[in-house]
Amino acid sequence: MAYLVMFHWGWLLASLLLGLAMGWIAVVHRGPGVSRLTAWWLSGLVAVLVAVALARLIPGRPGYWLDLGLLMFACYLVGCAVGSWLRHRVLSRHAPAA
Amino acid sequence: MHGLFRWSNKWWPGLIPLAVFWTIAAWTSTPPLESDLAARSTAALKDTVLDKRRIVVDGRDVTFGGDAFSEEGRRGAVASVEAVSGVRLVNDETRLVPEAKPFVWSAERDVVRVTLGGSSPLPSSKGKLLEAARASLGGVEVVDQMKLSRGAPPRFDNAALLLLDQIGKLKDGKITISDTKVSLSGMARDLGGREAITAALKNLPEGFSVAANEIKAPPYIVQAYKDPVAVTLTLTGYVPDSNVQAALATAAGRKFFSEKVVDNLKASIGAPAGFANAVVPALGALSRLSTGTLVVSDREVKLSGDALYDAAAAQIRSGLGKDFPQGWQFKADISVKPAAAPVDATVCQQLLSDLLAKGRIRFESGRATIDPDSAGLLDRLVETSLRCPSVNIEIAGHTDGDGEDGFNQALSEKRAQAVADYLVKAGLPAGRFTAIGYGSSQPVASNDTDEGKAQNRRIDFVVR
Repeated sequence: MAYLVMFHWGWLLASLLLGLAMGWIAVVHRGPGVSRLTAWWLSGLVAVLVAVALARLIPGRPGYWLDLGLLMFACYLVGCAVGSWLRHRVLSRHAPAA
Repeated sequence: MHGLFRWSNKWWPGLIPLAVFWTIAAWTSTPPLESDLAARSTAALKDTVLDKRRIVVDGRDVTFGGDAFSEEGRRGAVASVEAVSGVRLVNDETRLVPEAKPFVWSAERDVVRVTLGGSSPLPSSKGKLLEAARASLGGVEVVDQMKLSRGAPPRFDNAALLLLDQIGKLKDGKITISDTKVSLSGMARDLGGREAITAALKNLPEGFSVAANEIKAPPYIVQAYKDPVAVTLTLTGYVPDSNVQAALATAAGRKFFSEKVVDNLKASIGAPAGFANAVVPALGALSRLSTGTLVVSDREVKLSGDALYDAAAAQIRSGLGKDFPQGWQFKADISVKPAAAPVDATVCQQLLSDLLAKGRIRFESGRATIDPDSAGLLDRLVETSLRCPSVNIEIAGHTDGDGEDGFNQALSEKRAQAVADYLVKAGLPAGRFTAIGYGSSQPVASNDTDEGKAQNRRIDFVVR
């Protein structure tokens, strides 16, 4: 894991920034969201993929690509969460003033 | 927290560029990642001894194969690859080098090359052995057919290195180590080589022993070539020591009265028994030939050349073998030199005087028995006498001034007669020769010195 982070820090940082931007936008976005059922399905899928990666079930290059994808996805999620939270704080500070 | 769930509904559009990032990252980073892992795995195995090592990286999984020389070494190697950071899985395809039982190593020498075969314990020993073989053999080609095996006896390297030193002393042959038993066969390159190898084998490391040492010594050869044009006798080959060498040179000097003796003999051990007792009579036979070669190889004496006349050829063929020590063989290939053109009385006298000026007929001290060393000179006198069939020759015996006149007179007569008998036995008609003794009455030098006396003790041939 540490090796992957060191080797791919550029891509992971890009994923984090992408997540930050997406999180920032998501708070005020008016578009369609993901339904509750789909969200559960997606979470299940991610959980299965994580389990497969931890169990090292997929050999060779696909296994490496899975690890890399999950790691970038995790960074993206963290970025989203931080972005959304920051935007929310900015908005709630402005709201009372308005 | 509730807000986070709410907002997360809207996060999905970012997944599309994330997927694009992921594809690009996977596409561009896979080959550098694999080569980086391969390099670091190889570095981790730097101090591990493995044969046929191979490392294949697929993603972050390393397939690692090789032949290890011990179970600990094998496990250690796998553990070091597993410990490389970034490696996800190690497919262990290592195995142990096969064990050789018995552990056999051999070095075989033929004319142009040395072949190292059998088993060697470790790549480093193998390299060391090859290097030692190249160093000790100079320009000889070294062929490596050694395979790696486990099961070498302790101190194998030292034993093999010692034996490789010995292979340089062989002309051809094979040295084998089978577990701790050493076997040798073949032919030594030089005389003394066999003995040197036997001596070196005493230094084999502890635990090793010689099962069979069948190294043969090369033939012990002495050659003598009588060259009538250069008027030389060339001696080549080996003699046991400098005393025998001096004895041979002295004997040659006495037997070859007119030839210059070129002594190219080298001292070496390994002479067959009775060496000097065989070579000296053989040189005597050679001295009776006009031109000839004597080859003494171990216990076989080969004499070839041209005798001066028929009877001499027959005498050499039948007589020489009897002089040799037991166990020696004699092969003669003697032909007879074509007779030279007849000459008149004056030339005949000149030729006989020239011969007797170069050498004197020797007798045993105080007796009338001709010394065998004079056979060469007598044969030349016979040959010359055969060239002047019409003249009569007086054989005149002289002594020095020592002793009583009566004794000297009788001795000179007997000696002259002995020479005449030799000529008659050689096939010359008895009527042509008159043997006369002059005692000490006709000295040619002073009788006061040993040198003068030696000159006065003589046989003269006078054409009448």
